[in-house]
Amino acid sequence: MSAHEEPEAGRGTGAPEGAAGGPAVPAATSSPPGVPGPAPDGPPGRGWRRPELALALVVLGLGVFVLAGTADVTAAGSGIGLGPRFFPIIVGSALLLIGVFYVADVLRGGHGDPEEGEDVDAGARTDWKTVALVSVIFLAFAGLVDLLGWIIAGALLFFGLSVTLGATRRLRAGAIAVVLSTLSYLAFVKGLGVTLPAGLLSGVI
Amino acid sequence: MESLQLLLDGFATALTPVNLLYALVGVTLGTLVGVLPGIGPAMTVALLLPVTFSVPPASAFIMFAGIYYGGMYGGSTTSILLNTPGESSSMITALEGNKMARRGRAAQALATAAIGSFVAGTIATALLVVAAPLVVEFAISFGPEDYFALAVLAFTAVSSVLSRSVVRGLASLGFGLVIGLIGIDEQTGQARLTLGIPELLGGVEVVVVAVGLFALGEALYVSSRLRHDEPQIIPVGRAFLGRSDWSRSWRPWLRGTALGFPFGALPGGGAEIPTFLSYSIEKRLARGIAREEYGKGAIEGVAGPEAANNASAAGTLVPLLTLGLPTSATAAILLAAFQQYGLQPGPQLFDHNPALVWGMIASLFLGNLMLLVLNLPLAPLWARVLHVPRPYLYAGIVLFAALGVYALNASWIDLVVLYLLGLLGFAMRRFGLPVAPAVIGMILGPMAEIQLRRALAIGAGDAAVLVRSPIAATLLGLALLALLAPLVRKLAVRRSGSG
Repeated sequence: MSAHEEPEAGRGTGAPEGAAGGPAVPAATSSPPGVPGPAPDGPPGRGWRRPELALALVVLGLGVFVLAGTADVTAAGSGIGLGPRFFPIIVGSALLLIGVFYVADVLRGGHGDPEEGEDVDAGARTDWKTVALVSVIFLAFAGLVDLLGWIIAGALLFFGLSVTLGATRRLRAGAIAVVLSTLSYLAFVKGLGVTLPAGLLSGVI
Repeated sequence: MESLQLLLDGFATALTPVNLLYALVGVTLGTLVGVLPGIGPAMTVALLLPVTFSVPPASAFIMFAGIYYGGMYGGSTTSILLNTPGESSSMITALEGNKMARRGRAAQALATAAIGSFVAGTIATALLVVAAPLVVEFAISFGPEDYFALAVLAFTAVSSVLSRSVVRGLASLGFGLVIGLIGIDEQTGQARLTLGIPELLGGVEVVVVAVGLFALGEALYVSSRLRHDEPQIIPVGRAFLGRSDWSRSWRPWLRGTALGFPFGALPGGGAEIPTFLSYSIEKRLARGIAREEYGKGAIEGVAGPEAANNASAAGTLVPLLTLGLPTSATAAILLAAFQQYGLQPGPQLFDHNPALVWGMIASLFLGNLMLLVLNLPLAPLWARVLHVPRPYLYAGIVLFAALGVYALNASWIDLVVLYLLGLLGFAMRRFGLPVAPAVIGMILGPMAEIQLRRALAIGAGDAAVLVRSPIAATLLGLALLALLAPLVRKLAVRRSGSG
């Protein structure tokens, strides 16, 4: 497996020159939700204040969850221990093991490289306000889509997200939102025979 | 020569006007969505999966083949004209391709990518026609322990190859395996990890996972650190190659194809390694003007990797179709598409559904040709797609992600699950966990479980049954090797560093 190293090297050279940086450039640290104390920008800290630790602990917790969550699954009619708990026990134990190694790696200062992309400013601080707004808009959409119907809820989703992400011309964003949600409704319901809720517009369309 | 006859039958299926239309729609949609920044081939396929829901299977897979290849073409346009692609397989293309474009040779870069993809795609699809029946013949004798070992190899290979850190790759795999566990155990009817939510009894659908991790995860991640300055997109005219470009391109195309196909067919091989190998081989072989240009935009550095990329896409189809083994995220989603129609890829698929399989393979040839015709003259049109304002682009991605997921069961709970998976995808991007192992683990996990339990039941609980067949023992050995290789290398580096 000597070839294993290649994609990393490729990734390194693939980085845009200058600020965006390759794997060696430290991530702008900031905490995921639920982890108190925003870390300052700059090289990621060591020890317990690393935000990645939360994800590593999630892996560990998931192992516990799988083992505990399948404890009540009774192995009906299997004499040799190959019931429905067999595979979950393997997966859960593996997760515990991976989680321990992951936590140890993070505590020892290891870190993954934030993904690069066309539209990602790899050097920027994580903008939690936008993430939270996007989340609220999406969850509101999930809760309201049955009531409002696809066209209205979809248009609101698109409009809300585009404005949140920085669309300045609201009239245009609104117009695109209505056109997109209406067209997608017509294409899927009339064209492909997929069921989408009409909601408030059920008499109109 | 039996496969030749079957292929001709496949062409008969693919060449009906309706199926030609589906292929054309597939390649157009695939290119269009693939060109969009932030959307790689895997997300393209995941987002367009719902479009095929109401289409008959043979046509749906013809369309899917088009989307798959179209997404690959689209990705190269993005990396040449915009640089820094999110998709790791197009990363190498961006190295020389974007520099070529900046020096005013965008048309040639796009042309050598398109024609190279066509050449590589056609040769690699022909290799697929030759290789698939051979693998099927070999795999027909596979027992459950062999399939289990194959799945384990795919798990460890994809986790350790795709990630800089094995533990992060394995963590991603673990997320996928857990998601795959949710729902009713098929053999005993017991509910597992459903938290008492009846909607989860049927398990989490693959579309929800793929769209959540890729589309919503990407949208959340981008929104957390969106680049607000105007992206630099290089204007381009009709793509074409001059005489000297042809003579500089054809050898890299062929070499790239030879690298890409076998790597694509290997578990965990993917497109990253062959594209990078092709890039460095072309660099080593460069003479004269090519040597001077390398690093400043040499056409060889686009032609080779781009061919390798497309050849590996066709190579991926060998284990997918013949063994039901996905070796990349895109292949995993294609596998999910098969399962959507109640089809399980593997040796039986070639027996029971030859019209469907060979129709799909034949349409790969046709789709490739369509893409060439579509891409050379229409390059300026695709380039304009890159100008879509980012707020609209990502709002649109989320809208269509929600549409695809909601269309499955018309259930808002699916949308909440989609959001949670989006958060997971966001965290994985933020901390550099590869997404592919999660998708593969989720899809292959249940299959691995069934085969494991079947094998152990045959062996009456004796674990030695897992290594009794030489094939299974070899595969498990390779799986272990894939896990340990990075560790050994790290130790070796440490030793040479200190010594």
